[in-house]
Amino acid sequence: MNDIKTISEDELLARIKEIIVEYSGQKWALIPLVQKIQNEFGYIPPPSIPLIAGSLGFFPSEVQGVISFYAQLYTTPRGRNVVRVCKGTACHVRGGKTILKLVKQHLQIEEDQTTADMEYTLETVACIGVCALAPNIVIGNQVYGNVNPKKLGQLFKRNGG
Amino acid sequence: MQPVTITLNGREVSGHPEMTILELARESGITIPTICNEPHLTSIGSCRLCLVENEQNGALLASCVTPIVPGMVINTESPRVMEHRRMIVKLMLASHPDSCLVCDKGNRCQLHQIASDLGIGLLELQRIPQTAAIEEVNPFIERDMSKCILCAKCVRACQELVVEGALDYFQRGFIARPATLNNSPLENSECTFCGVCVALCPTGSLMEKKRVYQGTTKNLVNTTCPYCGCGCSISLEVKDNYIVAARPGKVDTENEGTLCVKGSYGFDFIHSPDRLKKPLVKVNGAFQETSWEKALEETAEALNLIKEQYGPDSLAVLGAVKCTNEENYLLQKFARTVLGTNNIDNSSRLYNPATRLGLGTSIGFPGTTNCLEALEQSEVIVAIGTDPAASAPRVNYAIKRAVKLRGAKLILIDPRRTKLSSFAHLWLRPKVGTDLVLLNSMSRLIIDESLLDKEFVTRKTDNFDALPGALEKYSLEYAETLTGIKKEEIHSAARLYALADQAAIIYGTGITQHPGGTASVKALFNLALLTGNIWRNGGGIYALQRDNNGQGACDMGALPDFLPGYQSTEDLQAKKKFEEHWGVSLPANPGLTALEIMEQIKAGKIKGLYIVGENPVLSFPRSDFVTEALSSLDFLAVQDLFLTETARLAGVVLPAASFAEKEGTFTNFEGKTGRIRKAVAPAGECLPDWEIILRLANKMERPLPFSTIQQVMEEIEELVPLYEGYLDSEGKYQNEWGFWKRRSHRWHSLKGFPRFSTAEYTPPEKKINEDYPLTLLTEAVLYHFGTGTRSSRAWRLQQFSPRIFIRINEADAKKLGLSPLDKVRIISPVAELTAAVSITGALPEGIASLPASFPEAPATRLFDINLDTETKTPSLKACNVRIERIDDHE
Ligand code: SF4
Ligand code: SF4
Ligand code: SF4
Ligand code: FES
Ligand code: FES
Repeated sequence: MNDIKTISEDELLARIKEIIVEYSGQKWALIPLVQKIQNEFGYIPPPSIPLIAGSLGFFPSEVQGVISFYAQLYTTPRGRNVVRVCKGTACHVRGGKTILKLVKQHLQIEEDQTTADMEYTLETVACIGVCALAPNIVIGNQVYGNVNPKKLGQLFKRNGG
Repeated sequence: MQPVTITLNGREVSGHPEMTILELARESGITIPTICNEPHLTSIGSCRLCLVENEQNGALLASCVTPIVPGMVINTESPRVMEHRRMIVKLMLASHPDSCLVCDKGNRCQLHQIASDLGIGLLELQRIPQTAAIEEVNPFIERDMSKCILCAKCVRACQELVVEGALDYFQRGFIARPATLNNSPLENSECTFCGVCVALCPTGSLMEKKRVYQGTTKNLVNTTCPYCGCGCSISLEVKDNYIVAARPGKVDTENEGTLCVKGSYGFDFIHSPDRLKKPLVKVNGAFQETSWEKALEETAEALNLIKEQYGPDSLAVLGAVKCTNEENYLLQKFARTVLGTNNIDNSSRLYNPATRLGLGTSIGFPGTTNCLEALEQSEVIVAIGTDPAASAPRVNYAIKRAVKLRGAKLILIDPRRTKLSSFAHLWLRPKVGTDLVLLNSMSRLIIDESLLDKEFVTRKTDNFDALPGALEKYSLEYAETLTGIKKEEIHSAARLYALADQAAIIYGTGITQHPGGTASVKALFNLALLTGNIWRNGGGIYALQRDNNGQGACDMGALPDFLPGYQSTEDLQAKKKFEEHWGVSLPANPGLTALEIMEQIKAGKIKGLYIVGENPVLSFPRSDFVTEALSSLDFLAVQDLFLTETARLAGVVLPAASFAEKEGTFTNFEGKTGRIRKAVAPAGECLPDWEIILRLANKMERPLPFSTIQQVMEEIEELVPLYEGYLDSEGKYQNEWGFWKRRSHRWHSLKGFPRFSTAEYTPPEKKINEDYPLTLLTEAVLYHFGTGTRSSRAWRLQQFSPRIFIRINEADAKKLGLSPLDKVRIISPVAELTAAVSITGALPEGIASLPASFPEAPATRLFDINLDTETKTPSLKACNVRIERIDDHE
């Protein structure tokens, strides 16, 4: 993902229009198009939905439906680091729930929210495949196993939180 | 194609190769429960309730999406099937909320029905009820998404039938729900409250709001919507003499299970406390209730007296675009035989004659040439002078379906941006009043570039030779200068239209209410004729009618110059036929048109007027003049549902039954006839219009020979060729009489081939008046209708759209220093009105628009009486105004 850009909404929409034009009238191109927008901005700004719909020949609600169907597509800005707390069975029995609560406290946000400084976005996942190390969390691309409250504090400090 | 044979529950049955197992089962009388399947929606196979077992391999198949294959052995009720079906329903019930028990959907809930059919008692599952906030700010629809079982019928209805696309699934898995864009409430979405999704929703998640009657209604009455000229079939739910709800008529009816907001939620004017309940007579300037006997006596005496003193042509009759065919037939017969005058007209005079004249002279058939199904098959559709999203919603659906689902290309010709603009392939925005130039230049280009259907033109048309010369001056350059549309765009539009195999043209009041509308209709017809788009299965010309029975009123001869079935009053043979049949001699001269009647009242020539279901004080131009004229009459009788602005001026007011309180037929703009049926007893002492007319004729001692509505229809069948074959062999109404009859009749009535006619553009006299710099267009609105008499008394419509707005362009608003919601005075040379301001980007600079359907500010008032010389239609589409802000302290 690119760095988050701080640009005005007008500029944002102008740029999005430029991207959309290339796909005008091509219904099949919905997914590549929204991916392209997401790659550039880190998310798909909601005002772009009616524009995408109009240009490709969808209803806006349809485009929203598709975007909301895919967990990898976002309509809110995302932080520089995505924190994923595991809610899978193994992590759950080893205190995953408490970990999630603590992370929320640390970051002062709820699930699927982003910190005001755009540093962190909090998500949960169902098992990341390293159950032996449960409870697990992932920050960015890095997995941290056997997390406990103390370790958590350090993690977020280390990551500048 | 070879039929396919399969074994179904041990029996051999055959069907077409493309059939699904479900379809074949239904055809063979086997019931398979379904939830997500709906014959007129695409099948998605999501609920899995329709499972059947393939006994050859034990596979469980969703029968609604599985095609039949030769030799299949299918069991629809095997133990495995039943077990799975029960489990599916149990799972649905397990996530259903407790409020299910007291749900208003009651016995209409499909989930309930299926659960009890399958004998599901104990759930044996842990319940995880859904929760959701109930959305109910708007006055029409209540959404409780906790009861949603994800059948997607609402989503498909909205996308595939009415093509608004307000809904789609949002998110996925357990939390997925149908939602609007940004999950906003319906009133902030594309939703037009057509109610189609509500009618299809199998559970209580979509419900009409505030059902007046809680509980289940058993009685459904199939009838026809009383509002616009689309004539949708609708079902009224009736309980205890009360209409509880309306929903789309059966799916196999013309409107395919769709309605608009007026059809679904506009019916409750029937039960309005404002309904007249008893006849009224005016005594010393005030109305008093009286008996039918006295009211009719007074009316009969007054009419007879005027007739004796001043002759039959001192009387006139106005009506009735809202009444049935039978009533219109009776009314004109009453005028011609009882009163003895041809002075009868109806308010479709305000929009229809351009079509009657323009098409009538060219094809001998005054109206739409094809049906809406054919419109949907067209490759190219030209929509001009109409905003069907507001004025003819069902046509709007058909256009959008053609574009969205069948890839048709829409050429939209409208200076305003309308809801159709986003569906248009080409959107041309001519200057107001220059449509004719545009159309003529398209015709010329088609001839110049040899895009015409030469064979058709040579073999099947007359008078082509007159055309090229007459079109000489309409070059692209000339057209560009006058219309303001770029040459290239006109060129593309002409080519697109000409090169399509099947192309349709739809036009509305934007054509017919402009002065010179007849010429524009002729120009449209020339286009269709040049390209052979007249007799084809797809394509054709669609002339929209505003009122539910404007077409029928004219068909039945409620016109001054035509006897029933467009047989001219001056055609001696026709006249003789009617005279022989009716046993009277008929007046020789054609009568007066609606506005001429007003003028002649003012001139003292007409002394007595009988108005049935029309409200000229609001619907005609210059209401001051109309009011003065009506007040000066020796005698005025008005027959209506309400004490309208016009009825207030009457000496006698006769309370009439509404469409839901009587029997009869309406004819829609396509020429298809729909049945109306009595659902409830008339309010108070109201009587059906037909019965009032018959009683009045009796009182005048010239009885008309009918006692039932069927007898009237029989006479219509006999004397009106267009309506032959309307009754079946047992003398009963045929429900779906066809417009095909009408089409085939047209072939017979046509002498020679369809004719080209030249249509010359006459520029308006250049009277630029600095005092009135803005052009004001009148427009239809979705949530109200006509003069608003009925829609303002339908509480949901009124609550949702309570006040009148004038829409003006941003730049004009800036110039005038106006902000949204400011109150303004709209001043024309003849009158002024007040309205609130709405600022829009949809209108070009210099153009404002005002809806016509708000009784407190009737836009018609701003118009001077300015009759088209040919059609006597007053111009009611565009006038010049200025706008002034009203400061708060005023
Ligand atoms: S709201 Fe009704 S129609 Fe729509 S998906 Fe849910 S259950 Fe089906
Ligand atoms: S009421 Fe009509 S427009 Fe609104 S969501 Fe339902 S189907 Fe769509
Ligand atoms: S489209 Fe016209 S006829 Fe159909 S429901 Fe609406 S108002 Fe009634
Ligand atoms: S459950 Fe957390 S990693 Fe598997
Ligand atoms: S009816 Fe076949 S899957 Fe729903």
